[in-house]
Amino acid sequence: MTMCPAYIRYIIIALAFLTMTAAMPVFAQELGPDGAPNPTASVESESKLLQQLPRIEGRIDIPNQREHVLQQPAGRLWDHFHEVTLHWLGAIVILGMIAALGAAYLIMGRIRISKGRSGQRVLRFNSFERFSHWLTAISFVVLGLTGLNITFGKLVLLPVIGPESFSSVAQYAKYVHNYVSGAFVIGLALIVVLWIRDNLPRKVDIDWIKQGGGFIKSKHAPSGRFNAGEKLVFWFALGAGAAVIVSGYLLIFPFYGTNIAGMQIAQVVHAVIAVLFVAVIIAHIYIGTLGMEGAFEAMATGEVDLNWAKEHHDRWLEEQLSRKRLAARSGQTTAAPAE
Amino acid sequence: MLIKRSERQARRRTVASMLAKQSSDSNNLDRRSFLRRSGLAAGSLAALGSLPLAGIRQAEAGPPPPPGATVTTRKNVCTHCSVGCSVIAEVANGVWIGQEPDYDSPINRGSHCCKGAAVRDDVLSDRRLRYPQKLVDGQWKRLSWDQAIDEIGDKLLDIRQKAGPDSVYWLGSAKFTNEAAYLNRKFAAFWGTNNSDHQARICHSTTVTGVANTWGYGAMTNSYNDIRNSKTILIMGGNPAEAHPVSLQHILEGKELNRANLIVVDPRMTRTAAHATEYVRVRPGVHIPTIYGMLWHIFENGWEDKEFIQQRVYGIEEIRKEVAKWTPDEVERVTGLPEAQVKHIADVFSHQKPVTLIWAMGQTQFATGTANVRASCILLLATGNVGHAGGGANIFRGHTNVQGATDLGLDVTTLPLYYGLSEEAWQHWCRVWEVDIDWMRSRFTNKTLMESPGIPSTRWFDATLLPKDQVSQPDTLQAMFVMGHGVNTITRMPEAVRGIEKLDLLVVCDPYPTAWSVLSKRNNGTYLLPACTSFEMDGSRTASNRSLQWGEQIVPPVFESKNDYDVMYMLAKKLGFADKMFKNIKVESGAVSAEDILREINRGGWSTGYCGQSPERLKAHMKNQARFDLVTLRAPKDDPEVGGDYYGLPWPCWGTPEFRHPGTAILYNTNLPVKEGGGTFRARFGVERLVKRKVLENGQEVEKEVHDNLLSEGSYSVGSVIKDGYPEFTLGVLKKLGWDKDLTASEREIIQRVNATSPDAVSWSLDLSGGIQRVAIEHGCSPCGNGKARMIAWNLPDPIPVHREVIYTSRPDLVGKYPTRPDAQQFRVPNIGFTVQKSAVDRGLIKQFPLILSSGRLVEYEGGGEETRSNKWLAELKQDMYVEINPADASERGIEDGGWVWVTGAESNSKTRMKAWVTERVGKGVAWMPYHFAGWYEGADLRSKYPKGADPIVLGESVNTLTTYGYDPATGMQEPKATLCQIRAA
Amino acid sequence: MARVKFLCDADRCIECNACVTACKNEHEVPWGINRRRVVTINDGKPGERSVSMACMHCTDAPCAAVCPVSCFYTTADGVVLHSKDLCIGCGYCFYACPFGAPQYPKVGNFGSRGKMDKCTYCAGGPEADSTPAEYAKYGANRLAEGKLPICAEMCSTKSLLAGDGAIIAEIYKERVMKRGYGSGAWGWTTAYHEGIAV
Repeated sequence: MTMCPAYIRYIIIALAFLTMTAAMPVFAQELGPDGAPNPTASVESESKLLQQLPRIEGRIDIPNQREHVLQQPAGRLWDHFHEVTLHWLGAIVILGMIAALGAAYLIMGRIRISKGRSGQRVLRFNSFERFSHWLTAISFVVLGLTGLNITFGKLVLLPVIGPESFSSVAQYAKYVHNYVSGAFVIGLALIVVLWIRDNLPRKVDIDWIKQGGGFIKSKHAPSGRFNAGEKLVFWFALGAGAAVIVSGYLLIFPFYGTNIAGMQIAQVVHAVIAVLFVAVIIAHIYIGTLGMEGAFEAMATGEVDLNWAKEHHDRWLEEQLSRKRLAARSGQTTAAPAE
Repeated sequence: MLIKRSERQARRRTVASMLAKQSSDSNNLDRRSFLRRSGLAAGSLAALGSLPLAGIRQAEAGPPPPPGATVTTRKNVCTHCSVGCSVIAEVANGVWIGQEPDYDSPINRGSHCCKGAAVRDDVLSDRRLRYPQKLVDGQWKRLSWDQAIDEIGDKLLDIRQKAGPDSVYWLGSAKFTNEAAYLNRKFAAFWGTNNSDHQARICHSTTVTGVANTWGYGAMTNSYNDIRNSKTILIMGGNPAEAHPVSLQHILEGKELNRANLIVVDPRMTRTAAHATEYVRVRPGVHIPTIYGMLWHIFENGWEDKEFIQQRVYGIEEIRKEVAKWTPDEVERVTGLPEAQVKHIADVFSHQKPVTLIWAMGQTQFATGTANVRASCILLLATGNVGHAGGGANIFRGHTNVQGATDLGLDVTTLPLYYGLSEEAWQHWCRVWEVDIDWMRSRFTNKTLMESPGIPSTRWFDATLLPKDQVSQPDTLQAMFVMGHGVNTITRMPEAVRGIEKLDLLVVCDPYPTAWSVLSKRNNGTYLLPACTSFEMDGSRTASNRSLQWGEQIVPPVFESKNDYDVMYMLAKKLGFADKMFKNIKVESGAVSAEDILREINRGGWSTGYCGQSPERLKAHMKNQARFDLVTLRAPKDDPEVGGDYYGLPWPCWGTPEFRHPGTAILYNTNLPVKEGGGTFRARFGVERLVKRKVLENGQEVEKEVHDNLLSEGSYSVGSVIKDGYPEFTLGVLKKLGWDKDLTASEREIIQRVNATSPDAVSWSLDLSGGIQRVAIEHGCSPCGNGKARMIAWNLPDPIPVHREVIYTSRPDLVGKYPTRPDAQQFRVPNIGFTVQKSAVDRGLIKQFPLILSSGRLVEYEGGGEETRSNKWLAELKQDMYVEINPADASERGIEDGGWVWVTGAESNSKTRMKAWVTERVGKGVAWMPYHFAGWYEGADLRSKYPKGADPIVLGESVNTLTTYGYDPATGMQEPKATLCQIRAA
Repeated sequence: MARVKFLCDADRCIECNACVTACKNEHEVPWGINRRRVVTINDGKPGERSVSMACMHCTDAPCAAVCPVSCFYTTADGVVLHSKDLCIGCGYCFYACPFGAPQYPKVGNFGSRGKMDKCTYCAGGPEADSTPAEYAKYGANRLAEGKLPICAEMCSTKSLLAGDGAIIAEIYKERVMKRGYGSGAWGWTTAYHEGIAV
């Protein structure tokens, strides 16, 4: 089990090597007795070629570029990644995350609003922000499930429903995965635009981490609109999202601007990042629902309890309140504090 | 769930039997609906909407056969090169549903190249011409066969009336069967002209002339199979890996089994060179200097075969003198080949025997083509490499039946089977045809034109465009009747385009519309007649090794197409000489009997030994293919049907069919009795030659007349009663030998009938009884005599082959010393090569066009390419016309691999647009193009001009838009293998 | 029966493409799908070699392993086949295949793939042998008729060999011994985890 990360490294390095290496080496010519080239004698054997190169490419006249690759033993490496490494990685990361969260729940239980609800509501996310979040969230779940089906379906679902039904499911899952990806891209883009400023790292994030991020009941962790943990999720989602989007579209449009090695790398990146992404989002879902009292309503109704805000986002609350006061004084009514 | 299929229970079940069982089930599909469903059921497979080329249709026919249908197999011969691969077709309900390998054929043993493996689509292709059409004000209009023949016939008669019979050109085809080729030549004779030619003009006319003038017959001396015996295989001017792929089976197996040397001398590092033990890159057009360079070392070191030369070769002294001029320094100056390399090849060639020399169009397609091939023969003779297994000149012909069509006289210089055009030849054929010689004369303008060569196919447009007084016949050409010949394989296409425009009548009888139909701005007077392919008719074809193979009709002609025989019969009927022309050929309700035509050929084909190959014998060979040996091509003597025969009865197959001569697998082979396929050099050039020679007499040099002996000395074939040279047999010779008494009474009677006034003069080739041949052979003698091969051919323009730079040479500095021949009137038109060459040098054309342009063949396509570019399985493999250019030349010009370029030519401001293939396959300074493309002209796509639906799948620029002047003085051969061009990125 | 294999003797292959068109002809393979292809390495230079390549019908075939719907199966002869009814056109087999064998018809405008098509070793598919249904999806079933793949049967120079792996290995070995050179049984190490030692 500890071998798995090593495998990934091995494969990624190998695949990266494939893309870097130019197609053809320069061959040493054997010369005949008179110094003229002897085409028969100067033939390279397959084994020699494969030692020099990870894949053998040549010339072919049909326009399909990918047919130029004569042989790519790396296919077997990729097979190993896909069938062994990825299965273990996925199982460990996702099940491991669920197990860890289960343990956290058992140990810490639900994080309650320590002062109880104040009854006063503060607007935390306006409807557009909530729409963007849920667009991303729902598409992510759909993509996650349909994606996991490609890797794990044949182990989990196929024995249950049989090959014909499973193929139909998988076929639809593939279409759904391809088309829902668009929604995810839009959702992610909106989220980034809406929230990137509030997710820029601040000094207060260090304090938040020092104070144990709100998990230690005795300590208060100070935070702006988003605490450091949320920021980490944000930046992870941005990075991982970009990675799965780019690699995903390479997979949807195969061999446009890339070759077989590129396709393999795209799939490796897509799969590995997606598995990690799923694990992180499971944690995110846990915190936002089961793990913390008062968190879910921020995305459900958009409003949070004042006390919850004081406990988890004190700096932001202060900002909000002072802005409100200011607005009241100048007789203006500010809209929801979006950006 | 998927179940792993266990052991197959029923091996060797036939499709038919299995489907017969099924037909009792409810899923009883009829053929059409099955086909439709097979297209649809493949659903995802047949994503036709997104194909790169429009209009690729779905499969209309494929295995398995419709339920209940019986599957029959038929055997024919591939139509795409001269190797002669057998094709086995499976036919159900009249549809060709599949091909199977024919392992029994000793020639291909089941193998094919991509063309042979795809021939089914030659018949199925929906790009075929479907019905007769004519061009009316730029639009193609459908018309019936009868109407078309009627209109064409009237027009032809009109032209005949106005301008004489010589103003109509009958351009035939190397894809004809033997019978169609013969019929076409006969047709031209009955029409009254010698303007009857075919592709051999542009492929091996120089070989035929050059080689026949060396040792008697102008054909491959051995066979593809016999190359298995060679210890050294030298390929100069050929790329069989692409042009004759199945021949490589024999070449490579021979090379492997004998650990033979395979040396390739070529400007390109061809696919053949890739399998060579040695590759030598030369500049195009330096064949003679290369050969003489080798001979220089051979003579210098005494490596020549002295006994062979003394016994069987005439003229070595003159050659020695010429060779002496080609010192290693001069060879290197002209060819660029270093001394060591030339010496090494010469060493191998003269010591590691037997040696075969293989060539194709890399030698022939030059203005010095005839001299080139003669130089090759000289090299073989000097080293004693002719007339035995593993040796010889293995000349690879191009088309499926270019050998046969050449033999059967589709040629401006001769009647069928090399009889020439003399009065004697006409008399011979009139006797065979049973027509009156005076009637035949009345068909021609005059006796002179009747007995003088016509206009070669390379010059038809010159004969159309030149002023009347420059064309040596009553009028210029006004009509072309083209059967199975592309226009894009002939050089100087811009002139051809003007020629097409000027013609009064253009008839193209072909399975495809061909580039003839689209090239010009012509709006009227073009007729397209749909001919069928050879797969849709019976008939024999002669492979390059002179073996005849009978092909049986696989399916009836598709659409409204007709076979060549029937078309010619219809037209002959319209023109009024069908009864005479088909006197001895059965025609049943318009269908001509191919067998009867072959029998007529047998009755007249004595000179070349086309007399023994009756349709019955040929069919027996096809049936018993498995009986023939892979290497010797001979069947065991005890076989009841083909015992002792060589496969396909390679000519000469002497005597009548009843004489059962086995054919001649290896020409001039003295190691076998003539009756067993042995032979001697043909005593074709007389018995003696009278020459004035300077000799030393009493210390003084005086000129004396000397009688040089031209008969062989002390060499004869095994079992010969005459142990020395002897002349051609005539009745007179038989009488002198006292052998005439062996003739039967009926043979005597026939001989008497041939020449009643002086029967003694009747020779082996004119004797219609075959008696003279029979008697000579019974005495172990070759009917055509036992002469010497000659190195010096005093009847040709260059009796001794001399190097001459190509017309548009890349080495103008050499033109002073090695100029082309002076201008002259040849074949009824002027050949102004000298003027053109001089002008090119004087104008310094090399600065403007610094690259040598050469051309050649691709494996996927054939000839002008109309048929193969319309074959969906072949067209997919090469979708673009391209030019090969060396990386150094490309980078100088900023040209990228796969990028578009403009290539400009040295004449007519010609320009072409195509893709660049940047490759080291060609050397620096050389560009190379395949010649199979057409349908684009000077950058314009002509697809819309084809009749609807009959445009080939792949179109492209033709290399011959760029090729230039240059004609062999002896044959009219064009010079597309070396000219000049310039390339720039488009 | 022993495992059937393909072997391309590159020292014999002249890139004549007979195998390619024979395959197209036998199975009516549409334009754009190349069950077999010939790739030339070192093109135009001394040492140029061409190799005819299709599905090698690997031992523990990677395509079968990675298929998300497990649509592949191996016959008793060792032929790797697949079911087009189950295939979802995901393209994974192409990434795993060391030989570029899987082919996909384009079915949409965005590079989306139809059901995978590949060399069947002329052995059809899961349908009943030599039926129109089998032909429509997979082409002819020559193996059921006791014939070998058409590509090898029609190879111009007998470069492409098909049949019992042990026998064709023996033929190749003999050839190399006889002629004294050989550039290797292309693809064998990758496909079958064994080369041919000469």
